[in-house]
Amino acid sequence: MANVLWLQGGACSGNTMSFLDAEEPTVVELIVDFGINILWHPTVGLEIGHQVSDLMQDCISGKTQLDIFVFEGTVIQGPNGSGKMNYFADRPMKDWVQELAHAAQYVVAIGDCATWGGIPAVPPNPSESTGMQFHKRKKGGFLGEGFVSKGGLPVINIPGCPAHPDWITQILVAISTGRIGDVLIDQYHRPKTFFTDFVQTGCPNVRSFTEKLDGHFGKRGGCLFYEVGCRGPMTHASCNRILWNRQSSKTRVNHPCLGCTEPGFPHHDLKKGSVFKTMKYLGFLPREVPEGESKLMYWFKAGVGKMSPTPRVLKEHSK
Amino acid sequence: MALKELNISPVGRVEGDLDVKVYMENGVVTRAHTQAAMFRGFEKILAGKDPQSGLIVTPRACGICGGSHLYCASFALDVAWKTTLPPNALLLRAIGQAAETTQSIPRWFYAIFATDMANKKFANKPLYQEVVKRFAAYVGTSFQRGVTASGRPVEVYALFGGQWPHSSYMVPGGVMCAPTLKDITRAHAILNQFRNDWLEPVWLGCSIDRYMQIQSWDDMMEWLEENESHRNSDLGLYLRAGLEFGLDKFGQGVGKYLAWGTYLHKDMYNNPTIESRNAATISPSGFFDGEKYYEADQKHVSEHVKHSWYTNQEDGLHPFEEPIPTAATDSRNLEQSDFGGKYSWAKAPRFMGHAAETGPLARVIMAANPANKEHQFRDPLFGDIMRKMGPSVFTRVLARMHEAPRLFLKLNEWLGQVRLDDEFYIKPTEQDGIGWGATEAARGALAHWIKVKNGVIENYQIIAPTTFNVGPNDKDNNPGPIESALEGTEIEDPHDPVEVGMVARSFDSCLVCTVHAHDNKTGKELTKFKL
Repeated sequence: MANVLWLQGGACSGNTMSFLDAEEPTVVELIVDFGINILWHPTVGLEIGHQVSDLMQDCISGKTQLDIFVFEGTVIQGPNGSGKMNYFADRPMKDWVQELAHAAQYVVAIGDCATWGGIPAVPPNPSESTGMQFHKRKKGGFLGEGFVSKGGLPVINIPGCPAHPDWITQILVAISTGRIGDVLIDQYHRPKTFFTDFVQTGCPNVRSFTEKLDGHFGKRGGCLFYEVGCRGPMTHASCNRILWNRQSSKTRVNHPCLGCTEPGFPHHDLKKGSVFKTMKYLGFLPREVPEGESKLMYWFKAGVGKMSPTPRVLKEHSK
Repeated sequence: MALKELNISPVGRVEGDLDVKVYMENGVVTRAHTQAAMFRGFEKILAGKDPQSGLIVTPRACGICGGSHLYCASFALDVAWKTTLPPNALLLRAIGQAAETTQSIPRWFYAIFATDMANKKFANKPLYQEVVKRFAAYVGTSFQRGVTASGRPVEVYALFGGQWPHSSYMVPGGVMCAPTLKDITRAHAILNQFRNDWLEPVWLGCSIDRYMQIQSWDDMMEWLEENESHRNSDLGLYLRAGLEFGLDKFGQGVGKYLAWGTYLHKDMYNNPTIESRNAATISPSGFFDGEKYYEADQKHVSEHVKHSWYTNQEDGLHPFEEPIPTAATDSRNLEQSDFGGKYSWAKAPRFMGHAAETGPLARVIMAANPANKEHQFRDPLFGDIMRKMGPSVFTRVLARMHEAPRLFLKLNEWLGQVRLDDEFYIKPTEQDGIGWGATEAARGALAHWIKVKNGVIENYQIIAPTTFNVGPNDKDNNPGPIESALEGTEIEDPHDPVEVGMVARSFDSCLVCTVHAHDNKTGKELTKFKL
């Protein structure tokens, strides 16, 4: 049994939509079987108006125990630090967030916006958006570097644009079943159980990556790293181990990984030439190389691979 | 005479931050103001960025309609870059759009709308117990089945887009994917599961073929009484309880409707231009003023900002002429807003100068246009329902649900037309230019206007369906569709104004989309009270 309050700041509701696609458990099972008690949620909560503000006040005063405070979306601080660009129940949302985060046992940030600012924080950041405890790669964010919730943990970040429903539900289940001790977090506060391997782990094009064979839009087979900007080798996430919508993943449908579980997303701030294109030096050397490789060593190995005639037997995959 | 003012913040279950202020006389709403309460400035973020940025950014304007934003963003670039689109690409884009909309039908009905029918307001009605048993949040028997089934259609989206929400698989020149046989066969199988788990046994209580025979309101009533299976289906219960609870008696709106239409035909839009688009839609576009149908020419769109929190714009500009909006710094909360001045982050879009409702009701009205072509939806039902019953919360919800069987059939038809040996993508030449892409998101007409100059985005303007529906007053202080639909609504218990929520939710307002735009003041101080 755990009381959960879920609020949205500068959000698109994408993480909520993703959450509603959950399968093991479904959202209904999460509530009925695992005793997750959703005090309120903007999409499915029944209360309106002052019913909601009373409920939040009860959480802050301790009248209602708040076990998990889930936040989706950026913390909007504009204009000029006032937070007036995002009013919620008569107050700037940021003021609610501050008080609720300090009242909760655990604070969970869901999606890139809540974790490190996401798309709204791309320059010029018109809404002065930031994440709960990070701003892009820099620790701090809205709650500050030293924040720990009553339960003794900093904000647990579940990034992704959106986060995969399993990443959300399994962490909620872990907290509600007393397994919070098993949730280890990395330098960006991501649960290691989901964010240690790379998107490339389990990608069906990994052989083409090894053999330096290019893929492209509308073609079957080939690796998307070299031409269309795939970030699978440097993005920590389990997209090819725990599939999306039980079916697939971006790279499985020839869609370059956008690196959305890393704090840089959207990478290079969407500048000219960075979207669906591999940024290169001298027109042929990839500027970013797989994590753990030095650039020179990687370029050398890739150059040998590209020029080596033998194993390069890519046939277009069969329809 | 009891004159009261009711502030509702938040309204909730509308996707995003909607606040509503209503003025009541003897329990009846005489005037209403809607306030979009959150601003992110996506258009400002897009300016000066890579031209393809819209493909990544705009789906994330709205996680509910991300596929619809992608559909618009890709076609807007197709027009600007003068691309050629293979038939497969048009099919796979239409399949993605239709899958997202189909997902939204049960998810919206059970999770967002029908839980209000289980509100204590209706406790004295004979059908109340049955409604609670099925539609109550989380524990209702149909709530569980419907919400779970809503995940199926987007599994089809994931087969071609990799994931839902937030794929960017539609790109200028076509689509990224090159599906294989098993993707197509699986997609058919998943759709059949959706039909077998929910659409036929739970929602319709009959076959899709039987339902598709309904051409008029009399046919609908005849269908309802035909057998127990029809009467006891969720549609049967909705029809009976909806009328018993009086959902047909409130929430009329402005009586004018706009649809951009969608599902561009595989052989009719291979060289996308602004001018050739409307004729190529399968779900037809149009503007209906209550009497006549007009062409939905995007030239007739303008946006008003008198009541929107933006500082650098004139009233009545076309999106191509609008500057990137600069946010005002004096936004206020609902209670302190000045509704004679600026009061919302939404702009007020107008079509031919009129406030127009967009959404499923607008779409089914366009489908009843006798001038529709052979390749377009031709369905007289809602022409008849509008004549006999007119618009209301009841009609709007029925329109939404009416789309599910037809989209199921279309999805299967389009899957059958994909040619696995043919092209899915034709690499375009990047160039400067202007483009327009439009669609029907589940909740209504969505469009993007883009200008690319010197290889970067010079201007990007989005008008979301909720912007049309939830926008504030225009420069002449005419109300927006939801503001108008709230007028005349009886509020039984001001401590639980469920009626306001039902009107807003019947439009399936999606504020997360709207807040890209901007918008406050009242004249006399009226009596105030808190909920």
